[in-house]
Parts: sequence; C-alpha cells; structure tokens
Amino acid sequence: MATNTKEAKAKDFNIERSAEEERKLSFKDESCIGCGICEKICPVEAIELGPIGAIVRTGSDEAKIEIDEDKCVLCGMCSVGCPVDALDLEIDGKSIKGIETYPRLISSAEISDEDCVYCRACERICPQEAVTVARVLPDRAKLVTGEIEIDKEKCIDCGVCEEMCPADAITMEEIGPNEYDISVDEDKCVYCLVCKRACPEDAIKAACRGCSYGEYDINPEDAEIAGKAVIDEETCVRCGWCEEVCPKEAVEVVKPFEGEIEIDLDKCETCGACIDICPCDALEFPKATKAGERAPKLQKNEEFCIYCGACENVCPNEAIEVKRTNINYTPTKSKSWQKGLESLKS
Amino acid sequence: MPKHIASGLKYLAAVELVRDGYSQKEISKALNMDRSTVSHYLHGRNLSLSSIEIAELIIKFNPRDFIVLTDAIVGDKEATKTIVKTCLDKKYSVEVKDTCIGCGVCVDICLIDAIMLDDLKAHIDTELCCGCLMCEEKCPTNSINIMEES
Repeated sequence: MATNTKEAKAKDFNIERSAEEERKLSFKDESCIGCGICEKICPVEAIELGPIGAIVRTGSDEAKIEIDEDKCVLCGMCSVGCPVDALDLEIDGKSIKGIETYPRLISSAEISDEDCVYCRACERICPQEAVTVARVLPDRAKLVTGEIEIDKEKCIDCGVCEEMCPADAITMEEIGPNEYDISVDEDKCVYCLVCKRACPEDAIKAACRGCSYGEYDINPEDAEIAGKAVIDEETCVRCGWCEEVCPKEAVEVVKPFEGEIEIDLDKCETCGACIDICPCDALEFPKATKAGERAPKLQKNEEFCIYCGACENVCPNEAIEVKRTNINYTPTKSKSWQKGLESLKS
Repeated sequence: MPKHIASGLKYLAAVELVRDGYSQKEISKALNMDRSTVSHYLHGRNLSLSSIEIAELIIKFNPRDFIVLTDAIVGDKEATKTIVKTCLDKKYSVEVKDTCIGCGVCVDICLIDAIMLDDLKAHIDTELCCGCLMCEEKCPTNSINIMEES
C-alpha cells in the first residue's frame, strides 16, 4: 500500500503519496497568515495550528501549522479553504485549483491597465507589499522650453550659478591651473532663471519660453507616463486597501468571505497580538484626537478585514469574535466538499 | 515455489475461461503468458498436481487473503485481475456515501483497479469488486459499504 512521505525544508514542507496518481500537498510558511481555516476544514483532523501568536511575535523557527502525515489523506480540502494559497495540492503535477471538479474560493485583486495612472498609492499602502508599480517618467527636457547662454568673456568663474542651480544643470570643470570651463546641460535645465538672477557679473542670458508664451510648443504626448502595476498573486490577501486608496478607481478586489468582526473592549487588554497577526492592517490602536480625550483601546477597519479569523485565534482574552456569514466558492457536485466549505461559516 | 503456485492459479483461471468460451489466444493475453504454455496447461502438461491443489486452497481463502496472496505470487496486475475475477464467483453490492471526500486512498489501495474518482467521489465497479474490504477499512470518512449479495 502507498504510504505518505513527508519532506520538510526549513518551515515549508511537502506531503506526498504516489500510486495510481501522484498527490503532493505543499505548505509555504511565508504565505500562511495563521487563520486556522485548514485546521477547521480538515476532514481527518490531521492539521494543527501552532502557537501563532508566539510565532509571529518572536520570529520563532516553528512552522505556523503542523500536518500529521500519517493522518493526512491528501484530499486537498485544506488547500481549497486556504484564502492565501499557503497550501496547495497537486495531482499528477497539476494544482487542484485548476481542476474543474474541485471547488475554488472566489477572490481576486486586479488593477486595470486602462485606468491606472501609476501614482503608487496602492504600492505604498499594501500591507503585504504585494503591489509593484513600475513607471517610466517623461523626458523632463521635453516638458520645458527655453534658451540659456553663458557669456564666457564676462564670467569670472565664481561658481555661484553652479551652487545654486536646483536642477544640477551647470558644471564648472577645472581644465588647467586657475582655468575653468563652465557648461549647461540643456537636458537638465528647466529655465528657472535662478542662475541669471544670481550671477554677479550678469554673464548669463536665459529665457523661459513657457513663461512668456504659455504652453504653445509643448506636445501633450511628451508628458505621458508609461508603466505597469502588478499585484503578486502569491502574497496578496485581498484586503482591499489598494481599492480604497486608488484615486482613479482602477482597482477591483473580490473577497472570498463575508462576515463581521466584533471586539469586546471590556475584555481587551491591549496586548496588540491581533494587530501583529492581522494580514490586512485592519486593526489598530487609535490615537486620541484631542487633548484630554481617551481613545478606544482597539479599533477595527472592517472594510479591510477578510474575516480570516487569525486575530480571534491569537487573542489571549477572547475579546475578538470573527463571524463568517458567506463563503464564495465555485460550484461542486460533491456534497462533502460543499459541507466542508459551508462549515467555515459561523 | 511461488512460481509453481502462480502456475496453479493460472491453470485454474484458464480452465474457467475455456469453460466460459474464451479462446487460447484470449486467455494467453488475459493471463500474460504465452500460448503454448496455455495449451500445455489445458492438457495437463508442465505443471504439478500439488501446485493445483495449493491454488485450489488459496481460492477458498477469504477474498482479501486470496487477492493479496495472488497479487504477491503472480506479481502482474493484469493477470491477478483476471485470476481473481474468474475464480471468485461471489457478487458484491456497493454503497459510497456522500461523505466521501474523493481523497483517492481507496483508488490507491484497490489491487484490482475497481475504483475510480468522479466528481470528487469514489465509484466502485461492482463487476470487478471482489469483496476484499480493504477500501472500506481504510476509508478515512467511513463512506464505503460493501455487501455480499445472496
């Protein structure tokens, strides 16, 4: 009979069984958010959630979950329930997330290429650093127009213009003993005229064409910003921060679960474990807004909560309750799989 | 010795198959042996009476012991399947409950390939099932029921 083999590498591990077909369940600790959904959904009780509070706060080298390879039957239910793809079951090298008969949680995060202006607001806010915005800025020289000339006869090589130029466009080079060459890099110059005004010898002639004639000779195409915004599927947790901060409504996030989170402030001892574990930055210690005011102990930003339940697991005082009222998944004919996914509701 | 017992088992299967109207060519294919050997066996040549006697004993074991032993002795899946199917005359009815999670443990354990997964549920071919009950026993969700038909 085919028995399971387990292969561990640091905190990650694979469990395999090969016979008629090859089944391989892999766990990636870095992606795991400690929600414990796998432990709840496992039909054979093979999974145990570790002391995630301690693991997250001490940087312990313990894995966040443990799977007993003698109990695991490689059914894959944990990998389907996992909201962040930390667990994945492959059958004959193909992830069951791509196999039609298996249900899949419905969730996504997408940035529309058409609407994105590459402002990087999403990149800055993402709690998982899952967004990368690469952008190519326009040529600065094409956005300004003007003329500049330094009269070398008048110039006394004082270097005032070089020191003051805000665009670092002026360079003085020593070409011999007490002999200098001064030059202006017209790709860098923005024709601000600071040099002209500061020159003690009136040796600089410069004019900004934009200032006198408006935008008459600037091509709007030259001002276009090109780029590409990418969300890393592996690290994204679908919290929705990017969608919220996007000024152009270019982001759409679909969350796998619906629900509510309740905090009992009387029980909260402000240890902060929930804040540390929350993958969505959906919990915070609020600051008082006025002198003499006392802010509440803990505040939730439910808009960004994915109802994973990690905070509830980690709270030592049972002050947090996460309820899941709906699980969004693709249809399956299997009654036991429907039941398994529905069991995640509370 | 195992070779001798294997030939006894193949002999018994071959006799059954001839009775069921199969040609020597078909039998040699189903039992993975060459045609001349099939012919020899059917004429009582090249095999000892004692190996037939042992094979007859094995067939009367309970289905699991019979299948496991045959699989170990014959060492060829197709031949094992033929021997088991031909020499066991009992019929089994099968029930797979909706609690089946489609883990495939039963598929892997079945020595005669009678089980396949469809829509995340095990389907057992009653034509092939020989009642060894290994799947029923190993099913992690106790979803399989195999009953002998009277």
